[in-house]
Amino acid sequence: MDMKIRTMAWRNLWRRKRRTYITAFSIGFGVLLSVTFTGVADDSYTKMINTSAVMGLGHVTIEPKGYNETPSLDKRLTGADRLREKLLQMPGVQDALIRIMGQAMLASANKSIGGAFMAVDPSMESAGQNLFIRSIIEGQLFSGTDSAGAVVGTTTAKKLNLSIGKKLVYTTTDVNGEIVSEIARVTGIFKTGVSEVDGAMILLPIDRVRSVLSYGPYDATLVSIVIKDQRRALKMLDEIDSMLDDPSREVLNWRETQSELASIITLDKAGNRIIQVLIGLLIAAGILNTLLMSVMERTREFGIMMAVGMAPFTLFRLVIIESVWFGILGLLIGVIITIPWYAFMHYHGIDFSGMIGSDYSASGVLIDPLVKIRLFKESAAWILTSVFTLTILSGIYPAWRAGRVPPVESLKEL
Amino acid sequence: MKILSIASRNVFRNWRRTLVTTLAMGFAGFIMILFASLMQGLLQASERNAVLMDLGDIQIHASDYREDPDLYKMIENPGRILLALKQAGFHAAKRLYGFGLAAAGSTSSGVQLRGIDLSTESDVTQINQHLLKGSWLEEADPKGIVIGRKLAKTLGVNTGDELIFVGQATDGSMANDVFTIKGILKSVGEEIDRTGLYMVENAFRELMILPEGAHEIAVMRADRSMDLEAATKIATNLAPGYETLNWRELKPVIARILDLADSQMIILVIITYTAVAMVVLNAMLMTVFERIRELGIMKALGVTPWQLMLLVYAETFIQVSAAVILAGLSGSLLSRYFEHNGIDLSSLAEGASFGGVAIDPVWKAYLTPESVAIPVVFLFIIAFLAVLYPAIKAALIQPVKAIHHR
Repeated sequence: MDMKIRTMAWRNLWRRKRRTYITAFSIGFGVLLSVTFTGVADDSYTKMINTSAVMGLGHVTIEPKGYNETPSLDKRLTGADRLREKLLQMPGVQDALIRIMGQAMLASANKSIGGAFMAVDPSMESAGQNLFIRSIIEGQLFSGTDSAGAVVGTTTAKKLNLSIGKKLVYTTTDVNGEIVSEIARVTGIFKTGVSEVDGAMILLPIDRVRSVLSYGPYDATLVSIVIKDQRRALKMLDEIDSMLDDPSREVLNWRETQSELASIITLDKAGNRIIQVLIGLLIAAGILNTLLMSVMERTREFGIMMAVGMAPFTLFRLVIIESVWFGILGLLIGVIITIPWYAFMHYHGIDFSGMIGSDYSASGVLIDPLVKIRLFKESAAWILTSVFTLTILSGIYPAWRAGRVPPVESLKEL
Repeated sequence: MKILSIASRNVFRNWRRTLVTTLAMGFAGFIMILFASLMQGLLQASERNAVLMDLGDIQIHASDYREDPDLYKMIENPGRILLALKQAGFHAAKRLYGFGLAAAGSTSSGVQLRGIDLSTESDVTQINQHLLKGSWLEEADPKGIVIGRKLAKTLGVNTGDELIFVGQATDGSMANDVFTIKGILKSVGEEIDRTGLYMVENAFRELMILPEGAHEIAVMRADRSMDLEAATKIATNLAPGYETLNWRELKPVIARILDLADSQMIILVIITYTAVAMVVLNAMLMTVFERIRELGIMKALGVTPWQLMLLVYAETFIQVSAAVILAGLSGSLLSRYFEHNGIDLSSLAEGASFGGVAIDPVWKAYLTPESVAIPVVFLFIIAFLAVLYPAIKAALIQPVKAIHHR
């Protein structure tokens, strides 16, 4: 019996080919739209999170307690090198970098601006894990951890009238709260494209900064951890936290250390959801319409079926199965039309730099104008489930109508 | 006329289908109107944050000051330009900028010093009302300062706390003094939030040893309807020898995002409406195909193909009109509601910014004619495109075949 209902439902679908095609195509189109919206979001959030992570703080950050609230330089980690060794052995950790980050006043001969510094060990850092090194457009990173080198942003260079080899004075407060200054020579200039960043951040050699701040040889303000897959940041955080087990330190994820980025992503996600729910509802309305019409025009047929002994519930099931078939067919069409589009958008993408420019930033993180699609497994599963749920839900009312056909009266109709 | 009455009868004949189709269209239109006005609200708030809190409409600087913000690159005679601007019907205020290090407790941070002329600044910007905590600057309290919120966080300070400023004065001497934090600003934008330190003009002049001149004149149109470009031209002529730019030129990223808002909206509307188009296409196809016999008879009686096409379009028109009325009313009503009662995002969007301008924590809608017109016009266009195929089908029906159709 079951078998028969399924076949019957399938055949019913093809009694009106055009209508079925349009309905199934609308489901398929919904899949395409959903994949596009979700895929663009998945990809751009990942890019933004990863870009932000290499701007200093990583996906997960180990900091002295309270540093995230007020990042003052008297708070510091000791034994950062041993910490790094341990972290590098953890699976899932791409890299762990020891850094000192703080605020400073940057000055040249007769000008000064407010800025920030990131003291790094050049032997640890790489272009992949450090956006500023990756963005060097002139000169190079200083070599040696105790040199007098500095890498500055283009806007800083312009404002302070700096070029390669020129002198720069940075002033900050040391571990005791004393104001201290040091001279550095510009070895490189970077350009990230975000003027707020290019006009504030400088890179300094870590051991020189340690001595300026009166830090010990293995002291640092933070260990920045880059995770291979940003979505695992939260899980990795727990692992790192339990490994560390030190109340004087805090392990934070990017949502906590880069809260502005987290808020912009949350906002964007909400808008995205609204659009997707809307599209889903519209497609559901289409399915509802089709099924309702097909039930209405089969009133007589259903009447006969009931008269020959088919239970109302069987009719209900018949229509529900029809809607399931719609779902399967729609998904199939969806997959067929989505694959080439996805391939194009995944590997090639569309360049919007002509429209939004290449210096558009959100919460201080540059947005890549090359829009690509990348769908996470969870998102794909989510889309599949929602399409099925929607088709079945929109079949309920028509199915209920079908089960309620009064046999005698419907037979009287033409 | 007859066509319209036939069409309306046809529409009501299958009222359930009409209802589902119209509701789907109306609902899509409603969401799009709401979405458009919320987007507009967000962008207007950004523009307001940029213009009303900081930039003003137009700014005047010494010609190379923006490139290279030097304490010595000043507008020599701000008084004369200010007077001229005032006579031309502008609000204008002079500002002073300096840089240095602010220290509190054991932390320090680089800051941008902003010397404000209290008597005129409030005509130009509303920064004085944009406080998170505490109160705005007062002439009587030259040691009282107001700072940006991220700076307050970095320094770990609150209102009432002391803050030491260290910098270099114009004569090359060390400029330092102790100030008391009177107020902390709400989010304005990355730069002010991170480095902004406001003080009264006289305190600035004394600290940095700068008795005369100004680094910037911020100008606001007194008449908001005045064209920005035209206003910029007038201001340029009033400040010969200086660089005069409007906020669109000063913040091209924000201007670009605002300009793009409408085209982004159109793209979104088209994508969403494509789903609507399928609903409409299917519904109208059904109405045509279940009436093939009827349409064939009409044709046999002498109704022309054009009239049949017109009939299908009239039916669509009735449904889209109903949907548009529904969408327009509900969309603008709810948008109006959100204009007055913003959505509180402060727990969600604290400190978020785009293009360097802060996003307001209370998201209000802003209903513009465009945010209603774009969704409405495109609903008509897309529905009419979708119905093209059923309409042609109806027009091309062959009477003999159709009459035998079952």
